[in-house]
Amino acid sequence: MEAMGIQALTSPVILFFVLGLLAAFARSDLEIPEAIAKGMSLYLMAAIGLKGGIEVAESGLDGTVLAALAAGIGAGLLMPVYAYWVLKGFGRLDRLNAGAVAAHYGSISVVTFVTAVEIYSMQGTPPQGYMVAVMASMESPAILAGLLLARGIGSDSGQTKKELAHEVLLNPSVVLLLGAFFIGMVAGPQGFDPVRPFFDGLFKGILCLFLLDMGLIAARRIMDSRALTWRLVAIAILLPLLNGALGTALGVGIGLDMGSAAALGVLCASASYIAVPAAMRLALPEADPGIYLTMSLSITFPFNVLVNIGLIGALAAMLTGSGAAIP
Amino acid sequence: MIETVIRKRIEILADQAQVKRVTSIIDEVGITGWTVLPVTSGKGREGRWREERVMGTDKNLVVTIASQENANALAEALAPILTSHGFLLTMWDVEVIRGERF
Repeated sequence: MEAMGIQALTSPVILFFVLGLLAAFARSDLEIPEAIAKGMSLYLMAAIGLKGGIEVAESGLDGTVLAALAAGIGAGLLMPVYAYWVLKGFGRLDRLNAGAVAAHYGSISVVTFVTAVEIYSMQGTPPQGYMVAVMASMESPAILAGLLLARGIGSDSGQTKKELAHEVLLNPSVVLLLGAFFIGMVAGPQGFDPVRPFFDGLFKGILCLFLLDMGLIAARRIMDSRALTWRLVAIAILLPLLNGALGTALGVGIGLDMGSAAALGVLCASASYIAVPAAMRLALPEADPGIYLTMSLSITFPFNVLVNIGLIGALAAMLTGSGAAIP
Repeated sequence: MIETVIRKRIEILADQAQVKRVTSIIDEVGITGWTVLPVTSGKGREGRWREERVMGTDKNLVVTIASQENANALAEALAPILTSHGFLLTMWDVEVIRGERF
């Protein structure tokens, strides 16, 4: 297990992320053009959706999938509630900012999930393909929960509600992930073969470059940050630890295999920095992105990628009786 | 000598997520056209910001040209939400050809 942990930390995916962090901290001018970064994020979401759909086309859907979906959506609705009270109480945030940050911690990070899938697959315990559908289903419930906590019921105008419903149900991440997932299910392995070189062959290389960019952005954002306090930094580390442990235990409890239970733990531990910030800019423009985005992207994301994915994998191994050591 | 007339050029710096709201208000006050321009980075009261399209936290500049009357209507419509929505609105006089279009 220790060797697996070292193997994960020396994988190019993780090392490119560390390179991005170091380059930004050293004030290098290295940068990925924004249009390319956006294109890479769309590619990654399409590829992970497709691959998940194809795996489900092969394995089929059963009660375990429904249980995993229900667990994911339930966690997405509940996690923002206790996160909100911690952020208001210990974090000393006002109601608006606490609600906005809570929404981020209830939702998920696609790239954290993809990185975890790569690492768990490398360790021989890949999560099931349907976890992609679980991931997509966890994108939006937390946005609603966070907004309710921040604003209360019925405080938004009709126009804002309409815009928000559109954002929650049809935000680009959800459309692309679920769309690609269904395309994968319909196409199946044979239909996937002609596009496999693009979506499978290039996947790890593009993930490396995307993580390089995320490392650069995460480090630059924290260097420019003015709003973070030590209390918020502590929450940005402790919440993913707690959520990851609860999510993994929930996954084992509903009968998921080790890789899938760990993946559910990673989904619960991860904090959104693509779908939720966009929704918050629309619905809660008064909330400070210097708080919510810096916490989720600059602290929680690196912590999850570098430390927590390994811890969650070890916890899943321990709970399913596959091993007990922490990498 | 080409004849020109004075109109107001208005620029509104807004988050990407709020651009539709701004352009809707421009339409509502009767201004016939607008242009959205990407911007790359800047610094304000909240500190530095830069274009981050992946996170959707990039900003845009909405540019429009209008008569004095419509410019005032637009400023009045946007004034109540300038602070809460983080907009920056500026306007100044410009000379335009074909003044009847604005």
